[in-house]
Amino acid sequence: MRAEIVQQPAVKDERWTHGLLAAQNLDGGWGYREGQDSAIEPTSWALLAISEMGREHSLDREKRAGASFLGRNQLSNGSWPTVPKDRAGSWVTSLACLALQGLGGWAPQVDAGLHWLARNWPGEGGFWWCLRHRLFGQPQLVVQDHRLRGWGWTSGTSSWVEPTAYALLALRAARGSTSFLARVDHRCRLAQAMLCNRMCAGGGWNCGNPVVYGAAGHPLLSSTCWALLSLGEFMDQADVRRCVTESLDWLERSYSQSPGPGSLALGALCLKAFRRAPPTVGPALSELYERNRFLGQVPVLAWASLAVQSVPRWLRPAIPAST
Amino acid sequence: MKVSYAVPSIKPSFQRPPSRVAIQRAASYEANLAAIISETLAEFRLDLKGRSVLLKPNFVGADPQCVMNTHPSVVAAAREAFLRAGAATVVVGEGPALERDTEGILEAIHLREYLGSLDGAFVDLNVDNVWPVALRTRASSVKRLYLPASVLRADCVVSLPKLKTHHWAGVTLSLKNMFGIVPGHCYGWPKNLLHWAGISKSILDLNSTVRPDFAIVDGIVGMEGNGPTQGQPKAAGLLVMGDDPVAVDATCARIMGLIPERVEYLRRAGILLGNLSEKKIEQIGESIASVSQPFAMVREFEFLRANGRITEPRSV
Repeated sequence: MRAEIVQQPAVKDERWTHGLLAAQNLDGGWGYREGQDSAIEPTSWALLAISEMGREHSLDREKRAGASFLGRNQLSNGSWPTVPKDRAGSWVTSLACLALQGLGGWAPQVDAGLHWLARNWPGEGGFWWCLRHRLFGQPQLVVQDHRLRGWGWTSGTSSWVEPTAYALLALRAARGSTSFLARVDHRCRLAQAMLCNRMCAGGGWNCGNPVVYGAAGHPLLSSTCWALLSLGEFMDQADVRRCVTESLDWLERSYSQSPGPGSLALGALCLKAFRRAPPTVGPALSELYERNRFLGQVPVLAWASLAVQSVPRWLRPAIPAST
Repeated sequence: MKVSYAVPSIKPSFQRPPSRVAIQRAASYEANLAAIISETLAEFRLDLKGRSVLLKPNFVGADPQCVMNTHPSVVAAAREAFLRAGAATVVVGEGPALERDTEGILEAIHLREYLGSLDGAFVDLNVDNVWPVALRTRASSVKRLYLPASVLRADCVVSLPKLKTHHWAGVTLSLKNMFGIVPGHCYGWPKNLLHWAGISKSILDLNSTVRPDFAIVDGIVGMEGNGPTQGQPKAAGLLVMGDDPVAVDATCARIMGLIPERVEYLRRAGILLGNLSEKKIEQIGESIASVSQPFAMVREFEFLRANGRITEPRSV
């Protein structure tokens, strides 16, 4: 692994900033596109992006309004639904916790969210599920260790790569700041093992089935980036380092061919976080923005904005000095 | 925001009139597909004047050869044909099931070159505004789903799948294609809630609630073997179309050399949603026998095969 951070010229496109700010709704939240109803995920990404913007932007009012939207829409069990009209906790709980952690003043809400995450197990992998799967399942369909559990998109279903990665990042960001986290250490190790188990042959991750019917799955850029960033906490382990190195190699080979801005931005962000030097990504993102305006999507605007700034603290891997 | 949507009728099969399905040859994606689709729309006499149409293709991954995706030339041709038929607006909407980077898929398949600017022409159903909808049937454990406003608001929903095998469901055609309307931001990538609740049962519940008004299956180059993403291309040179998606899918299965009654979700759909029996499907254009070519299946779905015997279609 390369030790030096290669400095890139900061190529920022103010249109992304303006696009993000213009998309904020009167209720303080963001929809997936400008003019859409506010939802938890785009609000979280927008907050995470504008929290990293330099001092040239004074965005305290926008941050307060966004955080207040998240605070108002937390469910009584500590979780967040994907959209305010729903009442079921979901994968976006991790993102809401991450966004609020960065703003300060929301510790009780973050604590409640993290507690919910710690309690929320997927439906697969428990004793009865494993027994039923062993007796009636088709083991040849997918080759993965179902006992290794992470987090799912919706409660009570299967573990998948991205929600597991988001949960690990949220729990890691809170490490040391809340009392209960030592008790979820085992859960985090299990999730880390699940991610390593689900890696595609040759590195990288798809959504979570590396082999189906004996055919190797193809990795996807966004899943790979989030898995890598979440494994940054476990770099003291040799098997994790092997997964990370193999997957970073795959990412380095693949990401510049990405035709989509979301994947391109996340790829650059991830390589930068792991001190691999991506080519300057700003111009390529600007060109894609010219083409389709990122389909107007707030999460993509936020990822592009994060990709051209310094790597946020919550994404920095703990790379041992010897690597 | 108030969203209204037309509730499809659910009738037992003995109360349903016969369905018609058009099988049209199209040797390649360079053929005049808009003319073929226009002629077929005229046959079906759909009332499209001033209506809003949502085309739902099957865009699965960044595959420039479009073996796994509905080819953009079919999408563009359908759009042109529906506009020619009097539709006020025609929007393409899809929510890819596996890949979060929808724009990456659209760029990889060059959709913009076929449709022009995507602004207003394409909606990512994975991140659309959503509305809670109670499902009309209770085959699966899912009672309610959040569904995209763009789908619920459309006067006419057209399913544009690829002619493919599917390693969980046997085949993926116009009914299975409707999984793509389920928003990823609510249910994830993949839309695991539906798998967890049972794929076949979920297909029935979803289509009983938002049934496509028309189906156009891209069988010009389909996929056989380990579909929907890792199979082999299969050139069938066909477009299969109709206003009863169950009858369209049953016809496609027969073309693929399969017995539709053995495909669990088709069998369920044949009870409540549309016609499955050959006796109740009138073939327009080519006959099944003249275009049939067996598709390779993964071992677990070999039982769907019609044992090599292809029956002649019977007109009603």
